[in-house]
Amino acid sequence: MTLKRSIAIYWALLLIPTLIMVVVAFRLLSHEQERISRQALELASGRGQAICETIHITVEGVEDSLTASLVAIDPDRLVNTLTRWERTNPLVRNVFVWQEGAPLAYPVPGMESTMEERRFIRRYDSLFSKRIAWESNPGASSEEKAPQTTRKTVDTLGNVSQTTRETAQRGRQALLDLARPEKRVAVVAQGLGAVPSGERFQPRSGWIPWFAENRLFILGWVKVAEQGPVFGIELELMTLLSRLGTDLPRFTEPGIAYALVDGNNEIVHLSGKVDGGQKPAAVLNVSPLLPHWQVHVFLDDSNRDGGRGFFFVSLILLGIFVAAIVSGGALMTWQAHINKKDALEKTSFVSSVSHELKTPLTSIRMYGELLQSGRISAPEKVAHYLAVIVAESQRLTRLVNNVLDFSRLEQDRKTYHVDRVDLVELVIAMVERHGIRIRAAGMEPGVFLPDGPLMVRTDRDAMEQVVVNIIDNAVKYAAEGKRLTFVLTDANSGFYELRISDRGPGIPREHRQRIFDKFHRIDTSLTARKPGSGLGLSIARSIARDLGGDIGFEPVKQGGSAFIVGIKKDE
Amino acid sequence: MKPIGKAFFAMALVVGLGLSLVTTWAEGGEAKVVCRVETDRKVLPAGGPQNVVIKVSLDAPLAPSAMERPRVNLALVLDRSGSMTGAKIERAREAAIEALKRLGPGDLFSLVVYDDTIDTVVPAQGIENIEGIIRKIRQITPGGSTALFGGVSQGAAEIRKNLGRDYVHRIVLLSDGLANVGPRTPEDLGRLGAALIKEKISVTTIGVGTDYNEDLMARLSQKSDGNIYFVESSDDLPMIFAAELGDVLNVVATQVRLFIDMPKGIKPLGIVGRQGRIRGGQVELSMNQLYGGQEKYALVEVAIPASTTGSTMEVATARVVYDNPFTKRRETVTARSVARFSDSSAAVERSTNKDVIREYQLNLNALSQEKAIALSDSGREEAAVDELKQSAAKLKKVGIMYKDSVLLEQAEALDIQAETIKQKGMSKKSRKVLRTESYQMKNQQKSK
Repeated sequence: MTLKRSIAIYWALLLIPTLIMVVVAFRLLSHEQERISRQALELASGRGQAICETIHITVEGVEDSLTASLVAIDPDRLVNTLTRWERTNPLVRNVFVWQEGAPLAYPVPGMESTMEERRFIRRYDSLFSKRIAWESNPGASSEEKAPQTTRKTVDTLGNVSQTTRETAQRGRQALLDLARPEKRVAVVAQGLGAVPSGERFQPRSGWIPWFAENRLFILGWVKVAEQGPVFGIELELMTLLSRLGTDLPRFTEPGIAYALVDGNNEIVHLSGKVDGGQKPAAVLNVSPLLPHWQVHVFLDDSNRDGGRGFFFVSLILLGIFVAAIVSGGALMTWQAHINKKDALEKTSFVSSVSHELKTPLTSIRMYGELLQSGRISAPEKVAHYLAVIVAESQRLTRLVNNVLDFSRLEQDRKTYHVDRVDLVELVIAMVERHGIRIRAAGMEPGVFLPDGPLMVRTDRDAMEQVVVNIIDNAVKYAAEGKRLTFVLTDANSGFYELRISDRGPGIPREHRQRIFDKFHRIDTSLTARKPGSGLGLSIARSIARDLGGDIGFEPVKQGGSAFIVGIKKDE
Repeated sequence: MKPIGKAFFAMALVVGLGLSLVTTWAEGGEAKVVCRVETDRKVLPAGGPQNVVIKVSLDAPLAPSAMERPRVNLALVLDRSGSMTGAKIERAREAAIEALKRLGPGDLFSLVVYDDTIDTVVPAQGIENIEGIIRKIRQITPGGSTALFGGVSQGAAEIRKNLGRDYVHRIVLLSDGLANVGPRTPEDLGRLGAALIKEKISVTTIGVGTDYNEDLMARLSQKSDGNIYFVESSDDLPMIFAAELGDVLNVVATQVRLFIDMPKGIKPLGIVGRQGRIRGGQVELSMNQLYGGQEKYALVEVAIPASTTGSTMEVATARVVYDNPFTKRRETVTARSVARFSDSSAAVERSTNKDVIREYQLNLNALSQEKAIALSDSGREEAAVDELKQSAAKLKKVGIMYKDSVLLEQAEALDIQAETIKQKGMSKKSRKVLRTESYQMKNQQKSK
């Protein structure tokens, strides 16, 4: 019981901290995993934000430059300049001149216009017929633009390679150059801004995101004189897109993709790979200048797996760690269990052997003292006493021999003197020599032998010890069966078989496997009815095996045990 | 001789000498574009107001062999989407190498390939390292989806690196599929083309197989004044590239703008086949570029007022302004047309200009083909077949009347096409053939 309890305590001490450690480690790993995923998303979103800002600043810059250019046009050459822009500037899709309260001055509806211009007129009809106010458009005037700083863009671009950043900068510069069709504009515009605002009319301007034909158009206008016309341009969005697309920084990390999505939810520019139907991990609004346009950030499975990978590898390591602890613990517990059992067995062995030694010694001493006292005079009594003393000392010798043999066998120091031995003669001699003891125990020996001698090469003394140990065992435990049978046969398998069977109580099933183990006794208590060291059968088997044979056990059908000794034949 | 007379004589002499000098120089390789203005009949029936077709032709001279041709800045944009596997990509690679080999020293070459991402395989560079470029071309393998807009944009970005210099800028786009990443409507790609031509970049499109979007490709070419080709078998690719390169290497006039002025009383009614604007008595058109030996023309329908027999009337004066890439000078050429009126119908008949009538009919036919496509797209296949058949019948009638074999051949081909569509429906191929032909006709594309 104590053994079981101590094992339970070992395991509890081992398993509870292990379990606690596993749970804590698991939670920490989950948190770490979450943090890594979040970090990946934040990084990707940061990049997406950088793209948004790059686009915003570019568009803002283009619009501002174009406004400045428009303001700087010589009013006398207004239409000429504008049409030249339209013909030569990729950023200009259409131009217009409109005097409030009058029909469009340019383009003129009808044959004078190209198809594109006629579409332009139709597109902005509501604006030019004043059904929609010019300045009420949300996000239209330049003053309402979201305040975002250029500095930030450069910072958020962060670890984007220098060349990519340079490309982006150069691309933006090229677009800004395009937005200044007249080289001197910048100076003029600045000059204009420097004029003190007195009675002079402050130029008004604005950019209108215009939804028509199921898409976005951007119209820029200025009005430089109070009585003057409103004029401006329609921005060529395709140029903007085409240039932005090639000049946007390219992020090449695997598993991350950025898509610029227009108001119709159509991807207009894509960096990286996106599977069909994949949901964006983050959605960012590009700019108030391009309403409803968004940057979608996609993280694909491989990216998330990259993060998951950390989690799984950690879990595997944790598993190995726990397995190591548990198996190490199991090994130690098992070892402790074995040690404890060994100790118990040895204690039991010592007490058994002491008991065994004490019994014959008591007899010898008692009869010796009786003889010494001289009070016993009857010669038959004296003879009997002497016979008892001799028998008991023989028993003592066998016991001591067994113990000595055991230690020799254990240390592999037992030596054998192999000689030619007739097994038939050996069995007859053994039964004769021990017949008295067998009969004294209340059993009748029966011997069945082959006709001729069975010669083998073996150690006669050792072989005798094997048989004696089996006889001892039978005398001790199977005396009530009344019979002890010796059968010697040729098993035709390279072995002769000596079968020694009794009709005693037999051996319980659960002990059959272990009767040949050293120190094993069916009844281990000190108060056992039968004395014994638990060594006899163990020694018998060791010797039999050393001599090239073996010993086996078979229960007898009608009750009782049979020990079969296999003896190797001569080659 | 009065002093004024003397001065006049001296001036005439100087001018004359100058002219003869110019002429001699021109013989040395600087021939100008020849402009002709013709009416469908040289002699018009006298009487009430009538409508007349004016054809203004521009005959480009052959590229002078003695002079250095303008250098070419060519960007090849190749679709390497998944559908371009096998023979197609193989031929495309061959064609790209073919194109490359036709370039000379001083020319620039760049190569962009696209699927869902865009790669600049060869950034704009001279062709000194031709072996290295060929090696890169051979490494192109087909991949994912089709980012056509991005591919063309990247090609343009490569061209743009050398934009300010004297090159003929050209993007050649080869695709076999539908664009599925980025802007992909014909309208959007048309706008891209319109923006690119402002930077003097033309986009030639080559559609391979029957799965590409011909409307998108046609619009891109049309707006940027490039050529358009429909290649059913990829085996023809090297040939097409050779033809295209032939055109590009042979540009003799760029930034071509045509102004046709009508005297008072003559009213332009419309331009046939081309886009342009009519400002009162002036028609304005732009044609962008002319290739050596090519004839491009514009057809304008005008209303002529009543007239009397025997009288003459100036119908139109044409002015062509263009850049000569050889001399790097801006040139102007003018021509005018005078019509005579007669009561004699035989004289009118005799004066018929078969050439003008043929081109007029062919352009009307191109418009019919486009209308047929539109009808078929809206599900009215029968009406489309009728439209084509009517157009064929008209071509045949005019062809018989004027014994014109070109018109008769075209009528027959169109009839067969209409019949095929009637039996099998508007196949992808038929649609592509119609779209490509009509564009090539309207633009008088040289290489077909």
